Amino acid sequence: MATMGTTFGFPTPEQAFGAWQDLLRKSLALPKVLEAAQTVRVGCTPSRQVYREDKLRLLRYETDAPQRYETPLLVIFALVNRPYILDLRPGKSVVSHFLSSGFNTYNVDWGVPEGGDRFLSLEDYVTRYIDNVVDHIREETGSPKINVLGYCMGGTLSAMYTALNPDKVNAFVALAAPFDWSKKESLLQTWTDERYFNVDRMLEVYGNAPPQWLQTSFLMLKPVQNLMEKYVGFYENMHDEKFLEDFFAMETWLNDNIPVAGETFRQFVKYCFQQNLLIQGKLHIGNQRVDLRRITCPVLNLVARGDHLVPPSQSLPLNDAIGSKDHKAVEFPAGHIGMAVGSKAHRELWPQACAWLGERSDKLRG
Amino acid sequence: MTTDFSQAFAGADAFGAFWSDFVKRMASGGIPSPAPAAPPSPDVLAQIRRAFFDAMSQHADQFMRSEPFLTAMKQAMEHSLALQQATNDMIRKGLSAAQIPSRADADHITLLVRGVEERLVDRLERLTARIERMESGRPTRGGAAENGKPAARRSGARRKSAK
Repeated sequence: MATMGTTFGFPTPEQAFGAWQDLLRKSLALPKVLEAAQTVRVGCTPSRQVYREDKLRLLRYETDAPQRYETPLLVIFALVNRPYILDLRPGKSVVSHFLSSGFNTYNVDWGVPEGGDRFLSLEDYVTRYIDNVVDHIREETGSPKINVLGYCMGGTLSAMYTALNPDKVNAFVALAAPFDWSKKESLLQTWTDERYFNVDRMLEVYGNAPPQWLQTSFLMLKPVQNLMEKYVGFYENMHDEKFLEDFFAMETWLNDNIPVAGETFRQFVKYCFQQNLLIQGKLHIGNQRVDLRRITCPVLNLVARGDHLVPPSQSLPLNDAIGSKDHKAVEFPAGHIGMAVGSKAHRELWPQACAWLGERSDKLRG
Repeated sequence: MTTDFSQAFAGADAFGAFWSDFVKRMASGGIPSPAPAAPPSPDVLAQIRRAFFDAMSQHADQFMRSEPFLTAMKQAMEHSLALQQATNDMIRKGLSAAQIPSRADADHITLLVRGVEERLVDRLERLTARIERMESGRPTRGGAAENGKPAARRSGARRKSAK
């Protein structure tokens, strides 16, 4: 039998037995899979709401680690997903790096826009919400300036804010954030080309940018990885409890898309993706021109080398566009989300980023 | 009568390119072709799968940037939006007949409230500027804020673009 099997390329009895054992082990892991899916927890650091405006909540992280720096840190995330990706799980939390380094750390939770929020514009987010949050932190901490870390679209909003309010920002860290859309490298940019995507029509019908559309678009940027490879990997590792916890935490975040306020989405698509006004210094927020050269504070630009959503060509031009003399760009071998949750990033990148920010922040007196 | 197979199936070229790319990747990666006499080891299977997924990813990316895909995407989006619009219209008419406010009514009220907010903020900022001038002993007349110009923080552009 064995000889015949080998002759025709069939598995040997040993191989068939091994495959059977593997299948059995995976079948026995099913209850653990179901349990992990039901008990998944995201957002590992305790936090307290210290400010609220409309749907926005400002969270302050609580820690036992001693505070070493007087200058606080504000984390600003994108409007398309929830901000807990930066504090996903123990060992995968960017926030915990800054807390353990001694930074008083805050995070903006934008909330979930509803129908009535469709008219919220970039002006509302940048000159009202972010500005009010920054003022609140300055008042609460007594620090005249704060550090800002912006991730993805949150980095773009942070850069706009810093350019408009250079006197309130001590240092700016951009994490996988787009600033220049001149090179049509990203698939998302090809799809949002005005020849193929009528953003006005979409918002006329839906009001806000619907989360299911955003979710599908992000999924289809890497269809083979997201629809096939991921599940092959899941099947192969489903007996590993640690893997399951990480997998379901990540899935929870990936599927937790929220709508984007219509007017903001329209402005971002038109002014950034389609007209590329920001890097050219032609973007206006309200009636103020956003001139990136007004960013004179220290800037650390963290760029994901393998980013399919925000390729390096969209992030790197920031360093040439700003007026700051103290700026640095770090290209890290990771993807867009790997920068926030990847083991290598937590081992190598974030300790560096904390040290960089620490050198440029005021130390706590006394 | 001859048959042009590349015309018979529009995706034939892409299909062929994908398989030749896949084989190329296997060859360049040093992955041995599985001999019929021996089943491939798990490592070789993993390598083959990797090469297959890589080739597939690259071709999917190329396809999703192609004109036919983008045109199809645009048409699908237009049809989907038209359907949603028709549904919205139907719901609005039904709600209107039942004298229940619709989303359009809520939007209208939201715009009115935002307009009032903007005017109030403008007025407050003008008053603040006026008080600051009075406190500093400067003349209160002739300033930009009193010439009916909108305050720097707010502009009419938002309302205009929101309509």
